[in-house]
Amino acid sequence: MLPALIVFVLDTLTLIAIYLIVSISLNIEYGYTGIADFGKAGAVAIGAYSIGAIPGRLLMYLLAIKGDYIMDNTKVVATINKFLQKNIAIAAAMLLLSLIVAGGLGTVFGFLASYPVARLKGEHLAIFMLAMAEAIRYVAYCYAPLVGGPYGVTVPDPFRFLAGSYRIIGISIVIIIISLGTFSYIERLTKSPLGRTLKAIRDCDIAAEVLGKDVAGYRMKIMVLSSATAAVAGALYAFYITYVSGIAYDRVDWTFWPWTIVVLGGMANNWGVALGTVTFIVMRRLIIFYKRGLEPILPFDVVWLEYILLGLTLILILMFKPEGLLPEKPIKTVELNKYKKEKSKSS
Amino acid sequence: MWVLLRDAITYSCMLILLSTGLTLTYITTKVPNFAHGEIAVIGLFVALTTLKLFGMNPYYCLPLAFLLSALASLALYKFIIKPLMNREASIDHLMIATLGYDMLIFAVLNIYADVLTRVYKIKARGFMPFKAYDFEFLGQPGVFISSILSVTLFVATLHILLTKTRFGVAMRATIENPDLASTFGVNTELVYTVSWILSGGLAGISGALLPFYFRGSPCLGFILIVPVFTASIVGGFYSIYGAMLGGAIAGLSEYLITYFVASWVGPWFLSYRIVIPLIMLALTLLFAPEGLTGIEWAEAMRVVMTKLSRIPIAKGVIR
Repeated sequence: MLPALIVFVLDTLTLIAIYLIVSISLNIEYGYTGIADFGKAGAVAIGAYSIGAIPGRLLMYLLAIKGDYIMDNTKVVATINKFLQKNIAIAAAMLLLSLIVAGGLGTVFGFLASYPVARLKGEHLAIFMLAMAEAIRYVAYCYAPLVGGPYGVTVPDPFRFLAGSYRIIGISIVIIIISLGTFSYIERLTKSPLGRTLKAIRDCDIAAEVLGKDVAGYRMKIMVLSSATAAVAGALYAFYITYVSGIAYDRVDWTFWPWTIVVLGGMANNWGVALGTVTFIVMRRLIIFYKRGLEPILPFDVVWLEYILLGLTLILILMFKPEGLLPEKPIKTVELNKYKKEKSKSS
Repeated sequence: MWVLLRDAITYSCMLILLSTGLTLTYITTKVPNFAHGEIAVIGLFVALTTLKLFGMNPYYCLPLAFLLSALASLALYKFIIKPLMNREASIDHLMIATLGYDMLIFAVLNIYADVLTRVYKIKARGFMPFKAYDFEFLGQPGVFISSILSVTLFVATLHILLTKTRFGVAMRATIENPDLASTFGVNTELVYTVSWILSGGLAGISGALLPFYFRGSPCLGFILIVPVFTASIVGGFYSIYGAMLGGAIAGLSEYLITYFVASWVGPWFLSYRIVIPLIMLALTLLFAPEGLTGIEWAEAMRVVMTKLSRIPIAKGVIR
């Protein structure tokens, strides 16, 4: 067995990795392109619900397990987990396939949402996205066959072959690798000419349009990309806690915290957002770590104090340091002479 | 059928109170207030406290609900929106700040609910509607009468305020052009303050009437915000009368459309009421983002007619 401290550190690292994906997807959307997406929770929820609904049912069908997936959830998933424990290859394939499906559904969600989003601006867009995310959560809450409504479902665990607390090492490593991959992809993307186009669209969409950029098209593409990445983050989180319910994925956890992270770290600066994620999650974990001392004294749940503290932090940052910890910097491009030399060399 | 219509009208009245307040702050300060739903829930908890802790009829709490919600709304403007505007924050930052304030109120209400539950043993989450404590008038529940009464009173007051008083003229001038108004000696700051107080207070009254119909809970504001924004936007986000119209349309259609679709496809549809305002919101934003009062109907008709006249069959009918 691992010592509790290592588990705590690993847990923190995994949460940082998951939140890094969500925040970085919000950063390319809001920081670079200026789409004020107040419905990030919707995309994350789509990914998580797909994990709650699809892989378990699929394996149940393939293994010919009898019963109702939602009603006999614990029994069915226990049987599936026993099977996955022995067949590591199938478990890995299930993980990969579910992540692809989650990303695909996120793409569909992003595409559907992007039709109005590409044409709306500012407050109208924010209101639309917020309403959309609320509606998704509400439907999942009411429609029990999806993920069991408020009671939730357990998710098949692809890391069952790792015994006991060693499971957390395996899943942490996988999540951290995916997170770093997403980060470096978005970082490279924003350093490319596309990144500069996006900043141009954010700063003045009319000027960008005059220069021949398809503003609506770019906004749609970014929306699709951002929703797909956020959905993958939701899927990873569902696998991590092996549980999905219709009441989780609210706008506090998955819209508000990512926004706080982006504002705290510095919009349109991926390293700033990474720093913001680490600061924010560590701060939250420390509050959780120390709140046990407060619990017996107060007649209410300490989690609300955490809400107040982090909400106040956000408002104070907006007032006194709106550019964030690491402000936006101009993108460094390849020097013209060097570029010409390279071009002549290759030709 | 009458019960359904009565419920729909009561609900629309609450929406009108909420959406008018939302539009009022939007057209003066140009910030959509995402904390509006949670500010209304303050009123709900005032009503719960009056009934359960002091054993009084919840109707007595209306002034207090108005006061507390107005204070919460004023604090949002004075301590968050105004300093941010002075620092020339972008609209996105202002919106996320109101969302942050929403969370602060949410946390405070939850602390209060926890205290009520643990110290006073009062069920503060998902408590049953107060139907039993309501009075009856001509065989109708009191909340139906009182919500219609408060909306009528409020619409009349606001209309007189805006059209007949000097302050109303100043208010309209500020809405049209704040810089010009302040050059002419209008105290725009006072206008903003009054509009935020009014907005919060109305939300509080609506919130105090809510527990007669809904199961109360601190997170009711999360769900409420969707129909309220729909009402404001369908009516037209730039017009107070539009908000009233939008509240009526959104409230009635949410109830009635859900009922008719449910009687057609089956009762399972009743759970998906929230989908109706969402669809209305999406359609309005896509086709007429200026809302019903913002559309120039003559112009719209002309466009429709020219489009129709291009179709050969319709040509003969129109001419």
